[in-house]
Amino acid sequence: MSALTFTLKNQPEFTLNVASLIPENLAGKTLAKIKSLAVIYGNETVKLGTLFTVKGTDPSQIFIEKSTQKLINIGQGMTEGSITIKGDAGDYLGQGMKGGTLTVSGNVGCWAGNAMSGGRINIIGNAGDYVGAGLPGDSFGMTNGLINIKGNAGDRVGDRMRRGIIIIQGKAGNYCGSRLHAGTIIVLDKVGKLPGEGMRRGSIILAKKPELLSATFKSCGNLKMQFLRLLFTQLASIDKELALFSKYGPEAHRFSGDLARNGKGEILILQHYK
Amino acid sequence: MKATRIIITAMTLKWAYRAANAIRGFASSVIACGIEADIERELKPSETPDGRPGISVMIFAMSIKDLEKHVATRVGQSVMTTATTACYSGLESDKKVSMGKSLRFFGDGYQISKVINGKRFWRIPVMHGEFICEETTGVTKAIGGGNFLVLAKTARHGLAACEKAVDEIQKVPGVITAFPGGVVGSGSKVGSKYKFLTASTNEAYCPTLKGQVKSELSDEIGSVLEIVIDGLDEASINEAMRVGIQAACSFGPAKGICRISAGNYGGNLGPHLFHLRKLLK
Repeated sequence: MSALTFTLKNQPEFTLNVASLIPENLAGKTLAKIKSLAVIYGNETVKLGTLFTVKGTDPSQIFIEKSTQKLINIGQGMTEGSITIKGDAGDYLGQGMKGGTLTVSGNVGCWAGNAMSGGRINIIGNAGDYVGAGLPGDSFGMTNGLINIKGNAGDRVGDRMRRGIIIIQGKAGNYCGSRLHAGTIIVLDKVGKLPGEGMRRGSIILAKKPELLSATFKSCGNLKMQFLRLLFTQLASIDKELALFSKYGPEAHRFSGDLARNGKGEILILQHYK
Repeated sequence: MKATRIIITAMTLKWAYRAANAIRGFASSVIACGIEADIERELKPSETPDGRPGISVMIFAMSIKDLEKHVATRVGQSVMTTATTACYSGLESDKKVSMGKSLRFFGDGYQISKVINGKRFWRIPVMHGEFICEETTGVTKAIGGGNFLVLAKTARHGLAACEKAVDEIQKVPGVITAFPGGVVGSGSKVGSKYKFLTASTNEAYCPTLKGQVKSELSDEIGSVLEIVIDGLDEASINEAMRVGIQAACSFGPAKGICRISAGNYGGNLGPHLFHLRKLLK
């Protein structure tokens, strides 16, 4: 069986909501039926076949080709299978995702992985603001799963995140891990101002000192954190792409905070190379 | 029986052994210790969840309830108290018993939970740094009490053969010999003339009672040692008994080994039967 492939015929002028293109929605449907599915284009509802050419037979593997940032809500609520996006993706990538794998070869918009509760998102390029965060009005951001961004991420990564792991191999913007409830955020390049602002629990692991750390974080000193060894070993065991930490030992400067909340979160600044 | 396997890691293998030896102390028989436990094998850093040297320990109990009670107690008192250690589940199963789930309260509110790769770990702040313990450990059905008896001219002869047998048994994965050194010096029978005892001396195999009871021992036998094997399944116990018996038999009559036997306790010990002759065919 060949992967079910959607190729954009033309660059869309407006945002195109493709939330319906998830494996469980497409399973058992013929190509004709899939082409007749309704998608929201701008403020209109149109048939999928007018915007995409569709080929392939295996709905558990979906490819979206020539994708742009106009495509929003890709993989929304998916629970299984894989979606591979060649090109960029718009806002709300993997929103409420429960399982499966989403891979984007380009950049993505804001709110990637918001409210996701399982599965994995791989972003080869950069991501916008609010990765893994919760929408306004939501109690929590992502509650499980893993987001791996090879490039940079915008502001407020993991805002109100409840559980799960976000890895940013590049830089992260301001207020990284703001209002964090729990979970783990790792940034391997520079991070902006005030990481962990208002965090209650959880871990923000930084390879470099942040631009500005809030006075409401208290230094616990340089420590050998056994947890880091466990985390790095476990991530490497998930797959080779996550074996990113061989040059880091378990030593970190630990800051506990945000004391303005209840001070049970932590910012760990990796200290020594092996 | 029910069994679990836990993985103990530490900064060095020496300290992992110290914790493992503590947890397997006073765990020779469920009759009075509640559990049977022993070291299964050493683990390389590449085999452990945190990349440090480790030891796998297998723990057997009569029920999940017993296992839950003793795993939490022993990990708490024997592993958490040993410097630099961490403790993880070594058995994947749908059925689980608490480990870090119970011990986390030692953190007095400062404990931190982390879910990594679908598993929950507890980070308990302790004076050496952090004690990391997986929330639960998997439980599986298991078999206890696989055994054979080495009937020798003297205790010296019997012990030499048993030591070699235990060395060979320890190479079989999924089995332990929970008694000290893997050898039982005071094998028991089920029941007693005293109502409060569930097990008592196996007089038919006691050399000093040869003339006094209906003995199973011939004149030349002066010492009987027992090797008891617990395992995750019948196949691993079969294999352990086979290599153990072969190792003991390799000493032969010239080195004082007169006979190999086994206790079947009238079938009262459990449903599993290991026929010695079949094992060696």
